[in-house]
Amino acid sequence: MTDLTPLLSTRNLTVKYPYGDVQNVVIDELNLDLYPGQIVGLLGESGSGKSSLALALMGLARHPGVVSGEVNFRGQDLLKMDDEELRQIRGNSIGLITQKPRQALDPLVNVGTQISRVYRAHSQASKAEAQIRAVELLRSVGINDAERRVSAYPHELSGGMAQRALISMALSVEPDLLIADEPTSGLDVTIQAQFLDRMWERARDANIAVLIVTQDVGIVANYCDRIVIMEDGKIIEDRTTVEFFANPHTDYGKKLILSSGTGDKTSNADVAIITSPEILRVTDLRKTFEVDGGKRLQAVSNASFQIHKGRSLGLVGESGSGKTTVGRLILRLADPDSGEVWFKGERIDSISPKEFRKYRSKIQAVFQDPFDSLNPRWPIERVIREPLDLHTQLSKEEKSARVKELVSLVGLTDDILPLRPGSLSAGQQQRVSLARALATEPEFLILDEPTSALPPAARADMIRLLKSLQERLDLCFIFISHDLSTVRELCHDIAVMYLSEIVEMGTSEQVFSAPSHPYTRALLDSVLFHDPNNRRVDRKVKTELEGEIPSPVDLPDGCYLAARCPIAEQRCRDDHQELIQIAPSRSVRCWKSVEASQ
Amino acid sequence: MQKRKIDPLLLIGLIIIAGSLFLAVFGNSLAPFDPQEPVGDFSMPPSADHWFGTDGSGLDVFSRVLAAPRVDVAIAVTAAIVSAVLGTGIGLYAGYFTGRFSEIVMRISDILQSFPVFILAMVLVTLTGRNVVNLIFVLAFLYTPIFVRLTRSEVLTQRTRTYVEAARATGNSEFQIATRHVLRNSLAPSLVQLSVTVGFGILLTAGLSFVGAGVRPPTPEWGIMIASGAPNIILNEWWTSIFPGIAISVTVFGYAAAGNAIERWARK
Repeated sequence: MTDLTPLLSTRNLTVKYPYGDVQNVVIDELNLDLYPGQIVGLLGESGSGKSSLALALMGLARHPGVVSGEVNFRGQDLLKMDDEELRQIRGNSIGLITQKPRQALDPLVNVGTQISRVYRAHSQASKAEAQIRAVELLRSVGINDAERRVSAYPHELSGGMAQRALISMALSVEPDLLIADEPTSGLDVTIQAQFLDRMWERARDANIAVLIVTQDVGIVANYCDRIVIMEDGKIIEDRTTVEFFANPHTDYGKKLILSSGTGDKTSNADVAIITSPEILRVTDLRKTFEVDGGKRLQAVSNASFQIHKGRSLGLVGESGSGKTTVGRLILRLADPDSGEVWFKGERIDSISPKEFRKYRSKIQAVFQDPFDSLNPRWPIERVIREPLDLHTQLSKEEKSARVKELVSLVGLTDDILPLRPGSLSAGQQQRVSLARALATEPEFLILDEPTSALPPAARADMIRLLKSLQERLDLCFIFISHDLSTVRELCHDIAVMYLSEIVEMGTSEQVFSAPSHPYTRALLDSVLFHDPNNRRVDRKVKTELEGEIPSPVDLPDGCYLAARCPIAEQRCRDDHQELIQIAPSRSVRCWKSVEASQ
Repeated sequence: MQKRKIDPLLLIGLIIIAGSLFLAVFGNSLAPFDPQEPVGDFSMPPSADHWFGTDGSGLDVFSRVLAAPRVDVAIAVTAAIVSAVLGTGIGLYAGYFTGRFSEIVMRISDILQSFPVFILAMVLVTLTGRNVVNLIFVLAFLYTPIFVRLTRSEVLTQRTRTYVEAARATGNSEFQIATRHVLRNSLAPSLVQLSVTVGFGILLTAGLSFVGAGVRPPTPEWGIMIASGAPNIILNEWWTSIFPGIAISVTVFGYAAAGNAIERWARK
């Protein structure tokens, strides 16, 4: 499959940035070979030099960076070329896809024109030919109505579509090498899977060498032939993916594999009849927001569930599914339009905000953005002490002792107490948030994507911490996430949400072993297991959803998934679906699934 | 880690500010002559006895330049602090609790800010009477909308951040969130503006006196000194206006420079 002569090879590539009197070595004497048709995953912590390497390979390492060594591309040293020669190579032979696709597109020019400009800059095609080519390219990366989309402006495209427009731009001149810098960060899982599938197919078909810079072990395991791990500007592992996953050599590599979400499930996930008392009950919760033009956006509709002591519910869905709003409604950070929330037999949705404050010590929350959830001006000690100040009558000494206890509970040390949030890592910040949430020994927690903004190693640590706390403190919580493997590890029960509705509910065991709703199946299929022997691209049967998530403003009459669903029939488009119980503690919102289960 | 270099602009600004505050307190005692009593001949050019010469009434220019900060700087600093405190408070309330009050406050600010500051100040001083206390109130009144606007817009950004949500979930009342969390994080623009406002205040105080709408002569005050010396410049009697002019320029520059330097530092 791979030629023996490398397409691109670096010899002693070094990039330094002068910082005052010190030389900051970002890439250190690096030797790397890329072969045609091979997909390479470049992993490493942030700051390890991954992105700098990607830029240096294109001759884009910028002033004041000092570059030395060689970057040989088909035998020519890119570092010795002048700007014009480099420009030719960049467009014709090396394509680049960056993260944050919308920022990489010109907001004033429609995508078709942008793609054809790139194409015309490197070929003799006429405008009309280039436009036709643009449509073809958009179609080839899986954009359904390419003829219409070609005249769309970047702000009219979703993130996933913009990313695909960008890749079609990079592919328009049929490059030999494609460099993708975290191409799917910020995309939803089903969209990510769609995008990576297309990229993988295109690379295979056209024998393109691909370098994917990523932090996601799942992407590497599923789509890459070879893995390269960087640390402090050096390559510390460079092997085939299969070899790596069988036996990682370095500590960082081992840590990455440990962070994988393969299997490890919650202990008592059986369907045993739950005898512990009910902590939280939510019935028919509904919330809409007004958007421009007087229309209403349906954020949550008919959400009902209950949680018993010591159990945890995973609320799963993609962006816009309403999962975060459910959490905010329970926390009274927003008021529901209708429906009820009961906490230990007391109704808490209709009491005044002032009355609700006494429940705050019992219901606590951890939010997604680790840095943003902490007051940047407060030392950590004050952050963790705040709930004690607000809800307890403890003395100063007792509070200080409790703060220390909490800090060690979440696996941090006392010496961070005088620091401000800005000087902690994301993982540490999130632990501080957790310590604050646990300060008043709450009976119920809402964890709103607490791991999704963390780098992989920190994410794995956080999940381990949550698991051990769950066992030690008998915590009861809702875990909101788009990451199914994390939910599987932490939660007893699962509710899958799609466009404001719960579409499937059951114990983790039930849902993961036999997903019933087509959306759940697609979501499960888009999980990138950290296992090169169980790759998504090799799976024979896949439930794939078409296109994009529709807007929650104008929802269709029938099933909300009908337009994307591979098994949809006329009845799906006509009738709105109800959540129907099909087994004890298990229900699904799809008549076909209900019929199939009988 | 690298040693943090001190911004030269900040250093210069701080030295000038410190100097102006020092003179505001001790300027009178440092002055070699009584700034309000004639000390010799009229319109004497600079000499060893009278470094900056004497003016048309025989007052020692050097002593008057040193004594003037007690009026100019004191008025400007007090007015700036009053308006900053008032404006930040109102801005915090208007930004955090958006609604009718917020709208009314902003519309009043719009109206106030749509007048030329200098003309409005003249009118207000004329209406209330020309004395130091009234000047302070007029300046504070005119500068408050600036702080309201700055604080409000910062509060509007801060209140959408997750730490506010987290503070609410932790159990703070809205008032506690506004004062303990949001206020502290919304102060930076006002602090930068404070220094700049003092500079403008000095300029405005001097300007009002220059046109005869500020404090009354023979109070030692830079604007009055420039005004009294101005007609005689064509007679080659340059010293009476030039020295207070330089004093104003340097002082205003100092406050503006410090403001800029603080802003640059805060952005890092």
